[in-house]
Formats: sequence, C-alpha cells, structure tokens
Amino acid sequence: MSNFTIPVGPLHVALEEPMYFRIDVHGETVNNVTITAGHVHRGVEYLITKRNVFQNVVLTERICSLCSNSHPQAYSMAIEQIAGIRIPARAEYLRAIADEIKRVASHLFNVGVLAHLVGFESLFMHVMEVRERMQDVKESIFGNRMDIGANTIGGVRYDIDPERIGYLREQLAALVPEVDEIIEIYRTDSSILRRTRGIGVLSYDDAIDCGVVGPVARAAGIEYDVRVKAPYAAYDRLDVPVHVLKDGDVWSRAMIRLMEARTAIDLIHQCLDGLPDGPTVAMDERPAIPPGEAIAKCEAPRGELIYYVRMTDSPKPERVKWRVPSFLNWDALGIMLRQAKVSDIAIIVNSIDPCISCTER
Amino acid sequence: MNFLKIFVRNLVKGPSTIPFPFAPAWTPERMRGRIQFKLQSCTGCRACEQVCAPGAIRFDKTPEGLRFMRWHNTCVFCGMCEFYCPTDAISQSDDWHMAHAVGEKYGMAIREVIPYIACTGCGMKTLASAPNPVGVAPPFTPEEIEQQRNLCPACRKKALAERGVQS
Ligand code: SF4
Ligand code: SF4
Repeated sequence: MSNFTIPVGPLHVALEEPMYFRIDVHGETVNNVTITAGHVHRGVEYLITKRNVFQNVVLTERICSLCSNSHPQAYSMAIEQIAGIRIPARAEYLRAIADEIKRVASHLFNVGVLAHLVGFESLFMHVMEVRERMQDVKESIFGNRMDIGANTIGGVRYDIDPERIGYLREQLAALVPEVDEIIEIYRTDSSILRRTRGIGVLSYDDAIDCGVVGPVARAAGIEYDVRVKAPYAAYDRLDVPVHVLKDGDVWSRAMIRLMEARTAIDLIHQCLDGLPDGPTVAMDERPAIPPGEAIAKCEAPRGELIYYVRMTDSPKPERVKWRVPSFLNWDALGIMLRQAKVSDIAIIVNSIDPCISCTER
Repeated sequence: MNFLKIFVRNLVKGPSTIPFPFAPAWTPERMRGRIQFKLQSCTGCRACEQVCAPGAIRFDKTPEGLRFMRWHNTCVFCGMCEFYCPTDAISQSDDWHMAHAVGEKYGMAIREVIPYIACTGCGMKTLASAPNPVGVAPPFTPEEIEQQRNLCPACRKKALAERGVQS
C-alpha cells in the first residue's frame, strides 16, 4: 500500500465550516494530521474594542449561533463583576433557563449531524424534527430561533408569565419521550454503533494532556462541568448531575450530549419550580461601568467558556479575551484521528462538535 | 428500538414543513421583527442609538429639528433599542417580511424629525420631544406630556417643580 497526502477543506463536502486538514494516509489509514485554521477570521477582538459595553452584548451573541446564549452571559457576568452588580434572583433563574434551552437544541443538532454523516438520513431528519420543537420554544419565548437575546448587563431582557410557563412545560413534556426514544436508538441501533463505537478514541490521559472541555472531556472520564465546579446564575440552587463515560469514543461523546439534553429538560423544570418573583434587571437605567478587569466563565454547550474583560475610563472595553471551548477540543483531533480510517474522518471531526466561528472569531 | 416504527409514524403524520410562500407561516407573538417608531413618544434621549450594535439607528441635526433615522437592512433585530427606550417610542413588531427589490433599498428606513419649536414659556428655540418619564411619579398624564413637549428644558424643570415632583 502506498502513502498519500489528502487535503480536506477549507471548503469540503464533509465539513460545514472552513478548516484545512492535511492528512497523510497509508492505504486508507490516517498516519498524521495537520490542522490549519484562520480562514474565517472576523476580527471580533478588534470590533469589540470599538463598541460600548452595551453594544457588545449583541456583538458577543453573534460570535457563535449555537453557543449564542453563553457568550453574552459570560460577557455580562464579567462586566457585572467589574461594576459590582448583583443580578436579581429571578434573573439568575431566567439565565439558567435560557442556557438549558440552548443546550438542548445545540446537543440535538450535533447528534443529528452524526446520523447524517453515518448516512442514516431518516434518523438525521427525525432528530432535527425533534429539535425543531426547541426552536419553536425559543421563537415563542425569546423571539428568535438562534440569537435569543436573553442577557443584558445587570440581568435578563425577557420574562415569562404563567401562560408561557405553561407553554414551556407542555413542550418539555412532549420532548421527553421523543428524546428518550432517540437515546434508545443511539444506544442500540447497529448502524450507529458500527460507525461510532471504538472510533476516534481519546483516552483519559490524552484528554488531560490536551485540556479538552465539555462533552469531549466528560466522554473521556473527566468529571468537569463549570455548572458544578464554579456555579453561576442559579446553578448553585439546582441539582445538576454530571454525566461521565469512560471510553472516549465518538459514541460516548454522542451519548453524553444526549444525556445532557435530557438532563437540561429536568433542569428547566427545576428552574420553573423554584422561579422567584421580583425584577429581572438590577437597575432600570443603564449602569455606569467603572475601570477594572474581570474573568468570568460558564458552561457553553461545547464546554467551558472563559471571558476576560478590561475596562478603562472609556465606555468601550480596552481588551476582551476569550478562551473558547472548541479551541482546546481541536487539539485533541490530532490524537483522535491517528490510525483512523479515511471514511471516519468526518464523523470524528463532528464528534468534538467543532465550532469554527468561535475558534477563529 | 426499531427505527422503522418512528419512520412509519413520521410517514403517517405527513410533512411538517409549511408550504410558505403559498400559505402563511406560523409567527409567534413575541417574534422580534421589524422596528416600529412612534415619534410622539420619543424623548430624543438617544439611548437607542447608543445601544445599537450595528449602528442601524442614527440621529442627526437638520435645520428643522432632530432627525431619527433607522435602517431596516442594518438592523440585527436584537431588541436592545426597545429594551432601553424609556418610552414606547421604539417597539419590535412581529413582521419579518422584509424581502424587497434592490431598487427599494433606500426606502427600507424610517426617517422622522422631532421639530424645533418656540418654547411656550420663554420663547427659546427648543425640540418638541416627549418628556422623559423616568422617575416621574405619579406618571405624566397625556395633557401634561403635551404641555411639557412645548417647553424648553429649563421651563420643563420649572413646570415639574411646580407639580411637586423631582424627576
Ligand atoms: S433591534 Fe438592535 S440592531 Fe435593530 S435597531 Fe434596535 S438596537 Fe439596533
Ligand atoms: S425615547 Fe426611545 S426612541 Fe427616542 S431617542 Fe430615546 S431611546 Fe430612542
């Protein structure tokens, strides 16, 4: 068998986003992978220093559409820390609800795409159809399918009345059997198992070395979840189970996401049960933000998201720095792809739930 | 679990897509769509301009007054302007039917002017904007809003003080 070098990307049928992989293969087995990023750099780090604190709530939301609640949330948390603002209890619960609604939709999306890459189109469409229920929920409660605009400095911009709580509970109740059914399929269906079990393995030690986060870490046995380790919003008052699996293969990552989507539904119920009355923002008018710096983090669907913000006397931040979850998970791809079959490359890449828009921002 | 069961169930249920544009598409009540502007309620505080990330809202001074300008095609429908507007001058409708011919693009905007008038108290040139309702208790009556609109900032303050409330 001979050696080849295959270029995959930056525009390629198997990848939805532009990333360039140079893959050295021996026969149909991968020997080495070189990943080159930087094809869609949008200059958000520059743009954010050209806008004021409030405009940036919206700019950060546009960094990634799937984690679009986590970015403004971490950003707002950092600004609130600088200004010494304590958000009202109701806002904390509403932030957690927004976070979990986004998590359900994001995880189902990734798991759906896995079915598509396996070639199981009817399952793909079914999962996307189930996810559509969450999209409708987002549109009904927040007014948009992706950029839900829940956060602002000092609280949240949306509220739910008893009628909408009823609607939300009704939709969640309908979603539970549908998600359970999907979990069962991914757990037992032979065509899914054949393409995902033992594929793209990342061992516990490698996961620690690469510093992976989110479902990728938890599927490799690392029990790490920001919602539990460093609770924000209302998570210190919620019972958040952390799902962990040992095998670190594509299947484990998909199962972690499915179980977390299921758990997210329970968390939303917990929030609705405990939802306190009161205001949704700390102050009616826009607060003044003093100079200072702060770090805030939250658990985005793809893992731990960290924001660093530095303010001076100007209303615009002097510096905002991200540590996005996908950045660390990309690194692990080099290990996952080693000795993989060429036909499994797309499945393995998808299994880290790659987000190029936040990695290259 | 056998996926065939789900497959058959979905088949029986029929398509879940909407035949748009041949039939109306479902639009939730809270849908954040096209911005509406009510000149009569605008205080000219420019909070909306300051929070608008893409710069879809601009104010400029014209000989006639303070011009509010809003470009629909620049808007990202974030709702920040509605949230921070102290009155109901800006609101988001559920209208998302924004497709238009390229030739109409310069018409995809709201342009309205808060005119200059002579203050009915002192005669000074001033903007006929609505008064800022923040912190005013009890709230302005419609008559008071009209009275305030015709006053300059200094006379407004005097009228408020006579009313016995600090704004
Ligand atoms: S909705 Fe957002 S983008 Fe549109 S005008 Fe208002 S602040 Fe600007
Ligand atoms: S009153 Fe509302 S619409 Fe008028 S300038 Fe202020 S924020 Fe803008």
